[in-house]
Amino acid sequence: MKALNRFFAKSNSAQVAKQRLQTLLAYDRLEIPPGVLALIKDDIVAAISRRVSVDCEHVNVNLLHEQNSSKLVVDIPLIANRGARAVRSAGRSNAR
Amino acid sequence: MLPSILNGHAMNEHTSLEAQVITVTSGKGGVGKTTLTANVGIALAQLGRKVVVVDSDIGLRNLDLVMGLEHRIVYDIVDYVEGRCRLRQALIRDKRVAELFLLPAAQTRDKTAVNPQQMIQVCDELRKEFEFILIDSPAGIEQGFQNALAPADLVLVVINPEVSSVRDADRVIGLAESQGKTQIYLVINRVVPARVKRQEMLSVEDIKEVLSTEIIGIVPEDDAILSASNRGMPVVCNGKGPAALAYRDIARRLSGEHVPLEIPQALGWWQRLFGKAS
Repeated sequence: MKALNRFFAKSNSAQVAKQRLQTLLAYDRLEIPPGVLALIKDDIVAAISRRVSVDCEHVNVNLLHEQNSSKLVVDIPLIANRGARAVRSAGRSNAR
Repeated sequence: MLPSILNGHAMNEHTSLEAQVITVTSGKGGVGKTTLTANVGIALAQLGRKVVVVDSDIGLRNLDLVMGLEHRIVYDIVDYVEGRCRLRQALIRDKRVAELFLLPAAQTRDKTAVNPQQMIQVCDELRKEFEFILIDSPAGIEQGFQNALAPADLVLVVINPEVSSVRDADRVIGLAESQGKTQIYLVINRVVPARVKRQEMLSVEDIKEVLSTEIIGIVPEDDAILSASNRGMPVVCNGKGPAALAYRDIARRLSGEHVPLEIPQALGWWQRLFGKAS
């Protein structure tokens, strides 16, 4: 709620603008629509699920933008066969 | 590594004898390209350079209006390209400043009347006579923009400190780079220092971080601009206000002078009450 209030407050709106722009320009420069990230997430979960059990609800796929490059950062919790959570596996792949 | 324009280096191989084509563009409309072209063109002429400003917004010409030369147009760039007049006949001399000319756009045609190759040829002709050729690009990224970009040695991308303008500028910078343009500089226009201070407006540092492009000028919001365009008398003609000073600084940097970039500061209340120091 606090974050939401800050979003709408007049002050600090410049910070919000900057963050939105940094995120958005990463997508613009890659020439992919931001909504595609959700589809990429589904594709990754489907592919990995064929080999191992995945905790689908807690999968995170994010675009990390740095000065001259972008990365997909993927966080995929796995489920061990006996019900307890397996070691969290974080996968990284570079997207340029 | 290109020498920085802010350190007073001449551009690339250009010497003071060679002409330079500078395209003023933005992507987003209404950010101040035409006003900048008019004022920087005049300021360069005030420094003693031979300057021509070219309106490439065919169909929606405005450079003539902002400069107060609209009543003198007989021929325009399309008349020249289509062979109805000589180039000299289409050029309008601005009598306020020595050695400043305007090549107007056509008002009754559209952007397809001229193509990029023809723009390059027009500029090649102009290079024989002028030291600086400033092209006022239309908004957008379609043919008008392509026409304006094609002959450019140097590209000025004008932005306002707000999200749409910055996003569009990023696209335009990418397009210019993909066409082999290496000298691309930002002008941040309509900065309101008090709002930047209150974090309501993107700061120069924010913009530098987001766009990673060198800044050649920062022009504060200035009430004098509206009156100036109402009268057809650009602010640098006789103005001392913040925008006029900023435009003159840009002209000085373009002609190779070392002028450090200053970030406009918000005035204290006493300064606003008693007027700014000129």
